Amino acid sequence: MNTATQAAQTPRVALRRPRIPFLDREAPLGYLLLAPALLLLVGFLAYPFFIGLWLSVTNAAAGEIWQYVGLANYRFEFLNDRVFLASIWNTFVYTAVTTVFKLALGLFMAVLLNQAFPFQRFVRAALLLPFIIPTVLSTLAWRWMFDPTFSVVNWVITHTGLAVRGVNWFGTPHAAMASMIIVNVWRGAPFYGISFLAGLQVIPVELYEAAKVDGATRRHQFVHITLPMLRPVLLVVLLLSTILTFADFQLPYVLTNGAPYSSSHVLATWAYAQAIQGGSLGVGAAISLVLFPVLSIVTAGVLIALRHD
Amino acid sequence: MADDSMRRRKGWTRRRFLQTTGAATAAVAAGSVLGAPGGGMAAAMMPKPRAGARIRLLQWNSFVPQADAEIRRQAKEFGDANNCTVEIETVSGDQLQPRTVAAVAAGNGPDIIQMQYSWPHLYTASTVVVTNEVNYLLGALGKVHPVNEAFTKVRGAWRAIPYCHVPNAWHYRTDYFQKAGVSSFPKTWDELIVVGEKVVKATGKPIAQTIGHAYGDSLTMWNPVLWGFGGQEVDKDGHTVRINSPETDAALQWAIRAAKAGIKWYPEWLDPDNNQAYHADRISATLNGASIYIREVVEFHKFDKVTGVAAMPSGPKGNFAMNLVLNHAVMRWSRDVDTAKAFVLSLMDKTNYSKWLAASRGYNAGAFEAQNNDPVWKTDPKLTVFRDVVTFRGKPVGNWPGWPAAPSKWTTQSQTQFVIADMFAKAVANGDSKAAMADAEAKLKAIYGRP
Repeated sequence: MNTATQAAQTPRVALRRPRIPFLDREAPLGYLLLAPALLLLVGFLAYPFFIGLWLSVTNAAAGEIWQYVGLANYRFEFLNDRVFLASIWNTFVYTAVTTVFKLALGLFMAVLLNQAFPFQRFVRAALLLPFIIPTVLSTLAWRWMFDPTFSVVNWVITHTGLAVRGVNWFGTPHAAMASMIIVNVWRGAPFYGISFLAGLQVIPVELYEAAKVDGATRRHQFVHITLPMLRPVLLVVLLLSTILTFADFQLPYVLTNGAPYSSSHVLATWAYAQAIQGGSLGVGAAISLVLFPVLSIVTAGVLIALRHD
Repeated sequence: MADDSMRRRKGWTRRRFLQTTGAATAAVAAGSVLGAPGGGMAAAMMPKPRAGARIRLLQWNSFVPQADAEIRRQAKEFGDANNCTVEIETVSGDQLQPRTVAAVAAGNGPDIIQMQYSWPHLYTASTVVVTNEVNYLLGALGKVHPVNEAFTKVRGAWRAIPYCHVPNAWHYRTDYFQKAGVSSFPKTWDELIVVGEKVVKATGKPIAQTIGHAYGDSLTMWNPVLWGFGGQEVDKDGHTVRINSPETDAALQWAIRAAKAGIKWYPEWLDPDNNQAYHADRISATLNGASIYIREVVEFHKFDKVTGVAAMPSGPKGNFAMNLVLNHAVMRWSRDVDTAKAFVLSLMDKTNYSKWLAASRGYNAGAFEAQNNDPVWKTDPKLTVFRDVVTFRGKPVGNWPGWPAAPSKWTTQSQTQFVIADMFAKAVANGDSKAAMADAEAKLKAIYGRP
């Protein structure tokens, strides 16, 4: 081997990196570990979502061959379907009213539970019961409590002299909506309460002690310490609750299923009526996707607010 | 697989024809499989169950549980005799359609599905043509009820095997009616208002019925009321909406007057609710399948002696009735179509069918002529009313939702969206028949306007 050849080979040997096993490399290992979760997300979230999107622009009917129809389903629903338009309004009312009540009650519940009192743990666990019981079961129980002939609620109202006659809970559109809201608040408030309680317990006690020294009242402490410190938890709970309530199906379906005269339908139950009972899968998919842009904006807004925190 | 499914769709293949005719010839030689005579050529093409096959039938939970027990017994008997397995899966009536749609969308599921009302028109492509089998039954059991035919025959081909009716009739408390000075159930809708007012004043127990989304009791009440006053939702052509008419208005006005007179129309009641109210002594009369009377006789023994049964009252344009109708469809994805068909035919066997009718104690009525005179109708004079609302003096009774238009996917959508019941409910709630009619018209135009 001559000198020139040696000179040419030396730097090549010097540049050769030590061989790292595949699984010891950061990037491939990262992707490998991420893959199962990604597969699950694609399989159970992305795939159904895109199938839903595709269905909504077809004239899909159960067991028949589909054709692409563009935005015809959406156009048809907005221009012709009165129940659909009413169910959009109902969905907004249902979500907005229940969220306000759940927020207020949840906050109240959390502040109370944050105090020291006997059987504190038992009470905290018991308050979660409405959230733990399967929705269908608890809603069936409520259906009985509101039943026009057997209503225990009406029995109490009339026997305590609160009213001469009981409320026709599912007999009028307003009463039916009110009953749905009552049951949703009953079921959802404990989730808010326990989440807020978790947030309250990580607020440093020193902040309250310093505020007391400075002469802050309890109201001042709540407004200027508790609420700002709870903000991240509050936003996350609000976001989750809004999405879940917008898409709520079980409770409205079991409790009223649109009664009376299809006036208490929300988008989820009306989509079900069209797709499953009426066999129009395309129309049903369009109805269920109609609020997707609104929900996306709400979600983006909350996430931006969280990032600012 | 593709070849298999293509062949299945086309019907009989040469090999299957030879197999089945061979088997059927043996069967005919040994005596008719079915108890009734008839069948001719169709009998020779009877499907033969495959040894080792495993099939599943999906149906609702009957309101008379003994009827389901009898079906299970027959399934086991059929399985033992043919060395195959037949599973019977029952779900609540409300769950039957979601389960059916899921199977249809997936292209897989139960081999046989119980089809309620006009579902064969919704799921046509997912069902197997059973024209040969129905022709055989027509030969063996006589004419089929026109409502079963309308529901199961799609564009000239039978898509389900006609099975039965669930007859609806009025149950009323004779003691309460007597207390109000009423000796029999009203014969007209106008009389019902007069009687309803008298009974509620005398006893505090109203005549009551659902006006809501009950797939049985609501549809079977409000469609006949509409027809009785001459109203109809759509023209015979199946597309021109006809709901906005003076006749419909008269029907709505009747419902409003009835509510003012003390008859209770409950928009929130589902199918079981009027049963519970009757058994709990909250109401004096309601329209229902025979299950109220049967359970009083068999289980509760509280009001069985004071429960009367009556057919639908008449309107100015005649007497109309509608019943829940059940049929059996063999699904195209079944790997054992012949076994499935053979099992459904075995359910229609005269002896088996009669045993099932006896177990259901009059809750069901037959779909074919020969089943009208079953011994079950002689066991209790009150039960004959339930037969009479299906077939009266040999003449079939009853129509279907959307009548006089033929059943279609549009009439089915109108039915499943409860447009007619909602129209009555809205009129009763607001007292404004014109607005309720306009609302229903808009909804129906949206449905019938679809391609």
